[in-house]
Amino acid sequence: MGNNSPSMLDSLVGLPRWLWEALLDRLFFLPPFPERMFGPSSLGWISIEALAQARPIADAALGLLMMEVGRRLDLSWLRHNPELLRSTFADIALSFALIFAFALWLVGLTPAWAAATAAVTMASAPAVVLLTIEEARAQGQVTERIILHTAISSAASFVAFALVLGVVHAELSEDWLNAVVHPLWVVAGALLVGGIGSWLALNIAHILPKRSLAQVFVLVACALLAVGIARMLAVPVFLTLFLMGVLLASRDRQQTLRYTALPEGHWLLAIVLFVIVGASLPWQEFTWLAGLQALGLLLVRAVAKAGAVAWSGGSLPLPKRLLVGVGIQPLSATAVFMAYELASLYPEVGRSALTLPLFAAAMMELVGPALCRLALRRSGECESGAQARGGIA
Amino acid sequence: MNIQPLGEFSDSAALSLGVELELQLVSRRDFDLTRGATDLIGSLDYDGRFGEIKLEITESMIEISTLARSTVDGIAADLGGLRDTLRHHCERNNIGVCGGGTHPFHRWPERRICPGDRFNDLYQRYGYLAKQFTVFGQHIHVGCTSADDAIWLTQALGVYVPAFIALSASSPFVDGVDSFYQSARLNAVSAFPLSGQCPPLNSWQEFTEHFAFLQACGIAQGIKDLYWDVRPKPEFGTVELRVCDTPLSIEQATSLAALAQSLARWLLRTRPPLDTAKQAHVARYNKFQACRYGLEAMISDPLALCQTPLRQTLASLLEAISEDARELACERWLSPLKQAVAGHAGDADWLRAREKEHGNLNDVVREASQRLIGPDSENQEKTR
Repeated sequence: MGNNSPSMLDSLVGLPRWLWEALLDRLFFLPPFPERMFGPSSLGWISIEALAQARPIADAALGLLMMEVGRRLDLSWLRHNPELLRSTFADIALSFALIFAFALWLVGLTPAWAAATAAVTMASAPAVVLLTIEEARAQGQVTERIILHTAISSAASFVAFALVLGVVHAELSEDWLNAVVHPLWVVAGALLVGGIGSWLALNIAHILPKRSLAQVFVLVACALLAVGIARMLAVPVFLTLFLMGVLLASRDRQQTLRYTALPEGHWLLAIVLFVIVGASLPWQEFTWLAGLQALGLLLVRAVAKAGAVAWSGGSLPLPKRLLVGVGIQPLSATAVFMAYELASLYPEVGRSALTLPLFAAAMMELVGPALCRLALRRSGECESGAQARGGIA
Repeated sequence: MNIQPLGEFSDSAALSLGVELELQLVSRRDFDLTRGATDLIGSLDYDGRFGEIKLEITESMIEISTLARSTVDGIAADLGGLRDTLRHHCERNNIGVCGGGTHPFHRWPERRICPGDRFNDLYQRYGYLAKQFTVFGQHIHVGCTSADDAIWLTQALGVYVPAFIALSASSPFVDGVDSFYQSARLNAVSAFPLSGQCPPLNSWQEFTEHFAFLQACGIAQGIKDLYWDVRPKPEFGTVELRVCDTPLSIEQATSLAALAQSLARWLLRTRPPLDTAKQAHVARYNKFQACRYGLEAMISDPLALCQTPLRQTLASLLEAISEDARELACERWLSPLKQAVAGHAGDADWLRAREKEHGNLNDVVREASQRLIGPDSENQEKTR
């Protein structure tokens, strides 16, 4: 048996956890995501080298999901509904402000790394939210608002991420040129690559039948091309593909790709993504203090998000608004990728400074999907349930 | 069994009108049906000035109903007001609204029954048929001054059911395919045991006896269990015409109301002889013809013992009732119907033409939704 193969001992060690997860499934209706497989690296199933080799696949998976979130960023809804403008703005502002304050004053990070922590963790996890909704086949106001909050908070966190890049450069190197040029390059480069990807996709797909398999191939191929160029130009893949999705939706005047969905197979890519993200988390650096701090961050973040949607009022009843607040709790792959992008700037300090958001993301890998699923179930918007079995909900 | 008494027939103003439209709630992302009726109703900030907006059996449907009006113009104003109110609130909830008798490509198992005892009871009683009942119709109420007039008018209007089906037909697509029908909606209705024609009853007395019989046999609990094509509605003091598909536009819905009012006036004024027993023999066949072929239907005449093109009989009918329409000040609303009879494309043909142009049904629903919402949106679409 080779070094990379799971041993009998590993299997035995893993057994109690699988039993625990089966119990969680029963209690909290955990979705069958391999999010919970966050321990492969700790069990030695995946080596660091294998992780590095798998990174392009993770980039592709995250890119496709981010493109899907970008396509769902529906700003026209905000125009028609001021209460949503209020609640999404409150979500963004409160989440950033409270997490920043927590990291600065309670954890003791420097202002730049506290801002980085806030930028990385303020948004909901698009991949978790979209896949949970897709799996539950949920439809309704709670579902739609969870998607909107997730898409807008992702966009806001990317803006914050770009600004924080400059702040980190300024604080750690005092290179003001780098502090200005790098964020600009990240945004402009992502916009350029995303623009090229969306232009290509729309123009090629235009000559093909709508909703055809050929259009799906074109969409995926253009997305992967954008992923490749983004990696080559060293601009963040998640930002590039998110912008590509936004441009695809906003420039698609003739509805060329509006109804073309990603193939069912993108679930497989998502599984790979979750495994790689889970495996890349620095479990070996875990301490009880770090764990408590991460838990504190998640609590602060939860209060900010639930408080924002509850405070903003509007036509949706308070219990349903609170369910939206629960549904937008997941924090996962995008945060981890952003944290690594930031940490890679100054590895000697960045890695330890960003342990907090990474541990927070790790904890949320376990409970995030369950919370999102719980919110959807409680809202009565899932397809499964009493009615699906022939009863009345 | 919860037996609901029939109650007295409430007299209403002669030929007063009321219109109910069942509308589709669609996702603005892909224009499939979406679930949102309960939240939409819960978020309504509306004083009821044009009538009611209420739940229907599944979460993907919403019903608007006008106030009782004496004129067709009043109905048009109410429908316009209800449409605009609904549009405003749907936009706030990011939901689209659409006309048409069926949604062209939704999957019925994905439908969810609305909360409420009545809907719960229907689902328990009819099972999956209740979800398949996610079809969308227009109901037209015509006021009657007496219960006997209501029963007579119910029978008299029964003969013209094919005309209303053909003129309103807007449901050619079901489950993503062309059904070859102009109105496929009524096939979903006909699965219910108490659908079809009103039996040949000649007076209010006979009707109450027949209804008591149905209740005694355990077949019907209340008047709402009768899914007849035309039925008396004692509570409102009206006769309710229930066979129309919801048209793609408010204007077409208004024209159908004008036809109902003018025809009812003409019938009550001229009192043509009715042979309800003979009509009963051909009613289902004629209804099928109208559903399948629309205005190209061949209608069987059980008295003359022949078949006549529906288009031909409708042209004569519209001519015959024009004087009554003039008296009721609704003649202009009959013009679109005359144009349809003269050969202009109806809603079902329009839907097919759009499908042929786009090659997909998502865009068909998107354009149909814009057509219902109003001329501004249509113009915006044209200028794109």
